[in-house]
Amino acid sequence: MKVGNNTFYYQYEPSLLDSLEAQEIQAPYNCRAGYCGRCKVRLLTGEVKYLDEGMVDLKEEEILTCICVPKTHIEIEIPED
Amino acid sequence: MSYTTFNPKSFDSTKEPMFFGQNVNVARYDVQRYPIFEKLIEKQLSFFWRPEEVDLSTDRKDFIDMPEHEKHIFLSNLKYQTLLDSVQGRSPNVAFLPIVSIPELETWLETWAFSETVHSRSYTHIIRNIVTDPSVIFDEIVTNPEIVKRAESVTRLYDELIRLTSIQNVHGYGVHTIDDVEYDCTLWNLKCKVYLTMVSVNVLEAIRFYVSFACSFAFAERAIMEGNAKIIKLIARDEALHLTGTQYIINTLGSGADDEEFKEVAAACREEAIALFAEAAEQEKEWAKYLFRDGSMIGLNAQILSEYVEYITNVRVQAVGFEEIFPARQNPLPWMNAWLSSDNVQVAPQESEISSYLVGQIDNSLEDGDFDDFDF
Repeated sequence: MKVGNNTFYYQYEPSLLDSLEAQEIQAPYNCRAGYCGRCKVRLLTGEVKYLDEGMVDLKEEEILTCICVPKTHIEIEIPED
Repeated sequence: MSYTTFNPKSFDSTKEPMFFGQNVNVARYDVQRYPIFEKLIEKQLSFFWRPEEVDLSTDRKDFIDMPEHEKHIFLSNLKYQTLLDSVQGRSPNVAFLPIVSIPELETWLETWAFSETVHSRSYTHIIRNIVTDPSVIFDEIVTNPEIVKRAESVTRLYDELIRLTSIQNVHGYGVHTIDDVEYDCTLWNLKCKVYLTMVSVNVLEAIRFYVSFACSFAFAERAIMEGNAKIIKLIARDEALHLTGTQYIINTLGSGADDEEFKEVAAACREEAIALFAEAAEQEKEWAKYLFRDGSMIGLNAQILSEYVEYITNVRVQAVGFEEIFPARQNPLPWMNAWLSSDNVQVAPQESEISSYLVGQIDNSLEDGDFDDFDF
């Protein structure tokens, strides 16, 4: 997967957020359970698989990193803090 | 039209707007206009906890050993939290239930407010455990000018909305003069008040509470008052749900998807809504100065807390579609995330409810062939 200019491999971490953290990529989060919406990022290309049902109103290209994993090669954009 | 507790009319509640449609009649959840409220209710119920589950015996000792200026920080913060939950334990019900038109939203409001009453009970539990006479602390909530000032701003819009809807309930929609005072109870103005009240509630839950959480967790970062932090962590987990709810309502109303006119209402109230966030941020910064007036504590001072206020305000205004108010900055209290994450509520299973544990949940996804390779 690709974040900005960094490309790396998803290594079956429990969630996309865990995977980002394993790569030491700063990604926002709070609840880690799909209800606070803090981990929202933009999915530029590819698909993700949700492991849990989110409770946040998402725009079409937005995903919650704490409750999904990559399904294909993905490229995401993390909002500036 | 005055409020009725069981609307005798037959109508399709999935066609009703969130507010100012028909009064709700049957509390049914098989058909829903907004399934998110049902999900929030389920999550909130799975979060159920009781303050007594958390042992506070070491907190008492920690509190006694604290220097005076830290006692001031701890107690002032606790008083402020008590005030906020006193308001939240009743106000969503009193303000919104008479005007709500959707069963799942009505039930969410009640579930939400109920959980706030658990928070209020937990403050009593904390205070009882750390001081011998809780009255000293509770009584000061209504006499301390710093707290009273803030009580006024967290309750102003709630009270205005309640006043206007009460008058509308008796006199109907329109502008009414009572005892030489004019009350604008037009549907437009009531919608403006609902929108702004919802923003004000979001400010309370998403900014004011989080600033107070930062103080509670700052003590626990130093391994003191850990029982208190454990309770505040459970409260924070609930508040994250509540703010998701208010953000959803604000965004849905503002988009016009629920009620076309609300889109214009949101546009007309935009400046005032942003001002509510800005005003709260200023008050929280003032509060930070008051908290740390006699001295800072390790890891937190007025400056850092003010920076956190700016950071969290930016995050929250963006979540409801407004521009950032303060210059963009990194989270000055990165350790907050560990405390706010629900996965890390570290209590033994027998001590507390686990959010992911639901009683009576059975895996029904079995096929006829699943036992084919099973031999006796």
